[in-house]
Amino acid sequence: MARKMIRVLLVEDEEIHRVMARAAVKAAAGAEDDDVLDVAENGAAAVRRVREVAPYDLILMDRQMPVMDGHEATRRIRAMGVTTPIVAVSSDGLPADVEAFIGAGADHFTPKVSQATRQCRPCDACMRHGQQYMIDLCK
Amino acid sequence: MEYSNLRRQTIFMKKNLFDQGFLDEQFNQLEELQDESSPNFVEEVVDLFFKDSSRLLTNIEQAIDKYPQDFYRLDSLVHQFKGSGSSIGALRVKNECSVFKAHCNDRSLEGCRRSFQKIKREHATLKQKLESYFQLLRQVGPREHAVSSRK
Repeated sequence: MARKMIRVLLVEDEEIHRVMARAAVKAAAGAEDDDVLDVAENGAAAVRRVREVAPYDLILMDRQMPVMDGHEATRRIRAMGVTTPIVAVSSDGLPADVEAFIGAGADHFTPKVSQATRQCRPCDACMRHGQQYMIDLCK
Repeated sequence: MEYSNLRRQTIFMKKNLFDQGFLDEQFNQLEELQDESSPNFVEEVVDLFFKDSSRLLTNIEQAIDKYPQDFYRLDSLVHQFKGSGSSIGALRVKNECSVFKAHCNDRSLEGCRRSFQKIKREHATLKQKLESYFQLLRQVGPREHAVSSRK
């Protein structure tokens, strides 16, 4: 049986990182052609998308963005009662940065460079989570 | 014969870029994401980096002139630049950005100015070397562009 389509929201203001993340999500183990990758270019756009669009299976959240940064966007998404896994992404990965993200409600942290490779573990985990979700639905 | 020579040259050129510290493993990871459906992915991403980074360098230069004591702004701009450079494996550029950020932390304007000149030099050198590399790669032909399949 085909698994449920996976919806990923990438929150990233820099085009180069969007291009690379898009390639990495497509390359993730278990990714299929029907899977959707939506993009929001800042935290405020991400909050709107989460509110208005069908539930996401994974949110990849950058830190430094105009209008609204990743920490605030994460806080607001959690305040809406959304439980979608949020993976924080940052170039530095300083402990204070990671703590701030986890404190805001993110589930996981990945360095920006790792996010954009074939070994994008959150992407792989999302595809596995998607499969498990489908299995549970069929029970 | 010509193809073999060109191929050898590309391999040699790429090895040099790594041996001399211009590129790191992230560049290989980029190549892993390239396949038949996006055969020019690496070159496209690198082009995107140089387009973006030229703009960022201008912004940093202007910020150093107009807001010399605003180390938070300077750090933030270089942080962005460093992130983009890291994404294509631009090791020397990335390292010099770290030096710049350390100067911001120390609130050393002179340090920032010196480091910024180095960043510009490393950026220009890398651009030149990668342009030559991709020019050679194009001569080798599309067989070399699809490095690996994604699935």
